[in-house]
Amino acid sequence: MVARHTPSSAAGALAVDLTVELCGTTLTTPLMPAAGTFSKEMLGEASGVYGAILPKTVTPRPRTGNPPPRVAEAPSGMVNSIGLQNPGLENFLESLGDYDVGLPLFVSVAADTIGEFAAVCERLSSDGRVAAVELNLSCPNVEHGGLQFCAGPVAVTEVVGACRAVLPVKPLLVKLTNEGVVRNSLAAEEAGADALTLINTVPALVVNARERKVFLCGGLSGPAIKPVALRAVYEVSRVVGIPVVGVGGAASGTDIAEFMLAGAAAVQIGAGSFVREPRLALEEFAAYLRENGLRARDLTGLL
Amino acid sequence: MKLHAVEVLYRERFGDHVLIRYRWTGTIPEPGQFVMARTATSRRGFEPFLSRPLFAHDYDGETLSLLFEIRGRGTALLASEEAGLLVSAPLGRGFALDSGPVALVGGGVWVSPLKLLAKRLVRSGTTRDVYLEIPGTAPKAYAAWISENFPDATLVPTDGCKDPSQIVLSRLGDLTRYATVYASGPAEMLAAVKQVTAGTVPAQLATRERMACANGSCYGCAIPIWWRGERTYVRACVEGPVFPAEVLAW
Repeated sequence: MVARHTPSSAAGALAVDLTVELCGTTLTTPLMPAAGTFSKEMLGEASGVYGAILPKTVTPRPRTGNPPPRVAEAPSGMVNSIGLQNPGLENFLESLGDYDVGLPLFVSVAADTIGEFAAVCERLSSDGRVAAVELNLSCPNVEHGGLQFCAGPVAVTEVVGACRAVLPVKPLLVKLTNEGVVRNSLAAEEAGADALTLINTVPALVVNARERKVFLCGGLSGPAIKPVALRAVYEVSRVVGIPVVGVGGAASGTDIAEFMLAGAAAVQIGAGSFVREPRLALEEFAAYLRENGLRARDLTGLL
Repeated sequence: MKLHAVEVLYRERFGDHVLIRYRWTGTIPEPGQFVMARTATSRRGFEPFLSRPLFAHDYDGETLSLLFEIRGRGTALLASEEAGLLVSAPLGRGFALDSGPVALVGGGVWVSPLKLLAKRLVRSGTTRDVYLEIPGTAPKAYAAWISENFPDATLVPTDGCKDPSQIVLSRLGDLTRYATVYASGPAEMLAAVKQVTAGTVPAQLATRERMACANGSCYGCAIPIWWRGERTYVRACVEGPVFPAEVLAW
């Protein structure tokens, strides 16, 4: 029997079935935060909106991140170069209880080497508080690692295989960049990934013409990349046999529907949450389902 | 980020400087806090995408005001007469109020948060001196407005000065007279206040950095600080934007 989503929101009042299944976990809504766009300060607004929580990417050791400026305006979006600032795995685990708001907790991880990726996964494998692990193979803003793990199918196979070996039970999601997304997705699936998160920010540059300087070299996010992300979700979901989580510029209920129609089983909201409340997007999505007489899970790939 | 559609009651321009007053019945702003602001049209079209962080300038129990300078598309849109305004509740950690005597030092458009600070200090009966830079680039109307809005302030014209911050700070004289120095001004002024107050008098500086989420999520508004002997970054939006000068790793 599938639980009905009944928060005190307008979405709940509409009594629409928003639940979706992802890697054996029932999510009360198809929404979750994109890695790096949700902090403890926002936990109070998670319930009734997100089906899972996904805190900022954690690395084996603390990272201080990149010097400012770290963000810049871009047409219908923004460019960021944060540099994975985080307290490191051990400090993160010490305060993991703070994230307990009754929702499945997905943990995004990144590392500089395959061995370190596997070590982090092994540490998380027996932690009952962690519902799933998302490998961040594609952060464009760190000096080591990052894109090289997405360089091609061989690299993806190696790192996903190493993590799968030490994470026998928990769902393993693999987040990939848009470049080479189809062949890298197939490699991740072959190496044992349970789901794919597509896509990360798109490599971007902001130039200050007045000062004739590079202002920011980072990753583009927001509605500007939505068509790119939709294309990746669409193409990959047609050739893999595992679920795809869509991410890239979703900010409205229509956006969520578009990602699911393109093939996503769930949708992450990142930069869009800086501009609009994700609650509004979910309410719009619920209204869309109601108008069309559909359940959220019916929508995946329904083109 | 939850944004509220508010009724704009008043708009005034002094060259590139803009004052907006809007009806606000939500959380009472503390001096040094900021709000995220955007126009209703920019939210519909995501253009520009990000909201703009602006210091709470003044508050009278019913209306909140913002003072800012037009720097680009976002602030230009906010300045336009017909724009519907969306604002967040007041955010961040502002100035910690001292029992005095205190000095307030400001420059450029960043004198903005000092108005509300001065008001609170008056209410608590705190002895205060206010020093405000009037740069040569400021339009006459703006200088007149500053004079009117900070009637007790010592205005320091710095037209043609090579080092305006030092000129302003030299007017403060013996800093040990003060229990706290509050500053909000250009980056050079904040750095100068940090330097001259080091080891003598506590200072609180209102920092500024580009922001995206303004709720602690994105770590975009990084401010370098010293923490347990190491240089690290904190978020201007939740740990700041006001910081004790001694922790800032500039």
